[in-house]
Amino acid sequence: MPKSELVENLDLDNYKYGFVDSESHVYRTKPGLDESIVREISRHKEEPDWMLEFRLKALKVYESKPMPTWGGDLSDLEATLNEIYFYVKPQEQTERSWDDVPDNIKNTFERLGIPEAEQQALAGVGAQYESEMVYHSLKEEWASKGVIFDSIEDGLKNHPEIFKEHFGTIIPTADNKFSALNSAVWSGGSFVYIPKGVHLKTPLQAYFRVNQERMGQFERTLIIVEEGAQAHYIEGCTAPVYSTDSFHSGVIEIVVKKDARFRYTTIQNWSNNMYNLVTQRAVVQENATMEWLDGNLGSKLTMKYPSCYLTGKGAHGSIMSIAYAGSGQHQDTGGKVVHAAENTTSSIISKSISKEDGRSSYRGLCKVHEGATGSRSNVECDALLINNTSRTDTYPYIEVDEKRATVGHEATVSKVGDEQLFYLKNRGLSEEEAMALVVRGFIEPIAKELPLEYAVELNRLIELEMEGSVG
Amino acid sequence: MGPRRLMAEYSNYSSWLNEMRSRAWSIYQSTPTPTTKSEEWRYTDLSKLFPLENISLEMNPEASTKRPTKEGLTETINTAGRVQFTDGLVTNIQLTPEMESQGVGLDSLQHTTHEKHQEIIKTNLSSHVLPPESGKFQALNAALWTDGIIIYVPKNVHVEMPIRGKHQLDSRNPSVCTRTLIIAEEGSHVSYVEEFGSDDFDDKHIVSSAVEIIAHKNATVDFVSVQNLGRGIFFQNAQKSLVHRDASVNTLNVNLGASLSRLDLNTQLIEPGANSKMLGLYFGDEDQHFDHNTSQDHLAPHTGSDLLYKGALDGHSRAAFRGIIRVHSEAQQTDAYQTNRTLLLSEHARADSLPNLEIEADDVKCSHGSTVGQLDPEAIFYLLSRGFSQQQAERLVVLGFLGDVMARLPRGAFKRVVKNVTDAVEQKLRHG
Repeated sequence: MPKSELVENLDLDNYKYGFVDSESHVYRTKPGLDESIVREISRHKEEPDWMLEFRLKALKVYESKPMPTWGGDLSDLEATLNEIYFYVKPQEQTERSWDDVPDNIKNTFERLGIPEAEQQALAGVGAQYESEMVYHSLKEEWASKGVIFDSIEDGLKNHPEIFKEHFGTIIPTADNKFSALNSAVWSGGSFVYIPKGVHLKTPLQAYFRVNQERMGQFERTLIIVEEGAQAHYIEGCTAPVYSTDSFHSGVIEIVVKKDARFRYTTIQNWSNNMYNLVTQRAVVQENATMEWLDGNLGSKLTMKYPSCYLTGKGAHGSIMSIAYAGSGQHQDTGGKVVHAAENTTSSIISKSISKEDGRSSYRGLCKVHEGATGSRSNVECDALLINNTSRTDTYPYIEVDEKRATVGHEATVSKVGDEQLFYLKNRGLSEEEAMALVVRGFIEPIAKELPLEYAVELNRLIELEMEGSVG
Repeated sequence: MGPRRLMAEYSNYSSWLNEMRSRAWSIYQSTPTPTTKSEEWRYTDLSKLFPLENISLEMNPEASTKRPTKEGLTETINTAGRVQFTDGLVTNIQLTPEMESQGVGLDSLQHTTHEKHQEIIKTNLSSHVLPPESGKFQALNAALWTDGIIIYVPKNVHVEMPIRGKHQLDSRNPSVCTRTLIIAEEGSHVSYVEEFGSDDFDDKHIVSSAVEIIAHKNATVDFVSVQNLGRGIFFQNAQKSLVHRDASVNTLNVNLGASLSRLDLNTQLIEPGANSKMLGLYFGDEDQHFDHNTSQDHLAPHTGSDLLYKGALDGHSRAAFRGIIRVHSEAQQTDAYQTNRTLLLSEHARADSLPNLEIEADDVKCSHGSTVGQLDPEAIFYLLSRGFSQQQAERLVVLGFLGDVMARLPRGAFKRVVKNVTDAVEQKLRHG
């Protein structure tokens, strides 16, 4: 395909999810955060008392914790947090059918291709707009097997016992400042329960959309995968481009029980005015497998380190992450694995691309506790720098308290080689096509793990972003 | 009170030293003691391992009066010069007549009467290389050093054999602060090997060493430090090098002794073509604690650095490694490498490793690696099948693992160091 046609097909709007709907909501709190707002959120959700208490306690913890001084630049965040809306209710309830979703919201998700994807390839879909899930549905085939896929609020209402047993136990409120904030003001997210032995053949997907300017979205997800069950959950995120900053802070708690297998895929493509500070953690029990597939392409600053706590013998954790930092972006991402039982294994593969003045940082922890004999962990980080103003950092923490364990970490930093480009140009490719090809090759080991439509999307994005990157 | 008294008495050749000391002392006092909340001290809890309140900072009272003896060196086969330190004082200093005639300087910082040396010390000591602002202990050393040496090598002079320094602690109450200043002029070449040794102590002492190295254009400085001090000692060692155009500074730090050992090593590659090899070796047993904090700063294009730190830990010993490569945006065409490998020989040993990269230039080759693990079972099996006992096999594998570091030293001149270190490691292995 000639180059011009190739470019035309790609719809050269660099961030094609940046469109805005007219504002519509049935309720929103005043900007900023105080105790009355937390009470208001809880009241709107008609929560039991224990949850209100949980929230109020979390607010105190949040207020008492200092802003982190590591990772990305959070110096402007305090001011942003005083101006954003912590709770915006888009409609009265979560719908089970797209027909019942208000037109403007439905149009948004149609433009994002969600209902279409649901029909074709997904077991269930959740769609969050501002602070609430506006749509949640699961195919009858799976519902009849006892699978639960609900908004988190419906999870609390309809399954209070399982909910209370796990909620806040994997990521305690006081884990970090933003997990405390989320615990105080959480709204939206999914509640997922996969019963013993059930193998979900197609993925569940949750889509997160922020439309409101100066919005704070605090998704809270709880996933319980029972013994021997298998499932795959995908989340996607986009928002319009505004000149003011918005804020997204999720807490995702996952339990993967004995012999179960779970994969959590994130394609984060927030607009470049979004702070994205997320805490994600899975407890992985005996012989179970947890896989995080973490794609961070958007946002202004992302700080996110998906974690696996390997607490059962033979548990396996895997984190594959890819980060793209373009101009004005800082991706501070990575992963954590904690080996707390015998014969646990883990692998982290991280690839990052930094372009223009973008900065990508790998930050990771591999900890082996005394007694976790026979544990093995391997970490590989590769960083690709496109321009001479790009920056990359690698900050791995390796803590080994057990002699009979093997831990390795390796990282490389490189630029796209002149020789590689020269070879491809020799074969008739333009410099830009050659660049895109080399970059695609670099991320291929992770891209191939993505669901097809995301892999295509990622490749397209790389192609777009490599426009004009040469020279 | 103690430090103040010493300060006044030290002022042998100039009042500027007094000012420097009192400035450093006030920095020391106003700098909080590092805690594990600081990233650089994350794995070393001084309040538990070595509470500073309990340490006497009283230095050797003879510091200002006892002058070193100075004789020509008779044995010149393996040594270009020799310095003897006792309880922090230079007690004997010798240089071969040949070196002396070529203008090489080897002198006591405290007692030098050589005008040119005084001038160089005044310009460089604890100012632009390792100022007291670098940290609490760097300030402590700058305030309280009792003596130290300057090595000065004139343009194009090659000191073929190493200069050797030996630090001994004899008295029962010493805390010791010494300094080393090495200036290698354009095209010159020098190596300095220092060894620290003592018996064990029942109570706690600090032994502090500050090393400043400036390698001018096309010069080469090889610096080796071997620490085999007794238990009860906190060995605090700060080293910083400025490496100019096409110059090389190569360091080897061996830490075998002391209860707590902390190395802060910073190499600044400030002009094109500057290069540094940084080697480290450690072996811990009982409750020894080692902390290596290294940084490789690439500030100019076409610079190179290569760091390899390897160690083995037995007993309840712990080692932390925190290394960082910083490639600044001007430093294109940089090659920078960093490797830390630790063997855990015991159930209770612990290793923490933080190999960091911060890269702001795009045309670079950079990588780092870190491993923590046990003895390679295949290597042990191989040796067992060749008739070695389990114990012999383990020793051989450990020696081979650590020998990798020693093998990278230039041959010839460092033969004695290699032997001393190998003997010391073997001795520790026998006790294990």
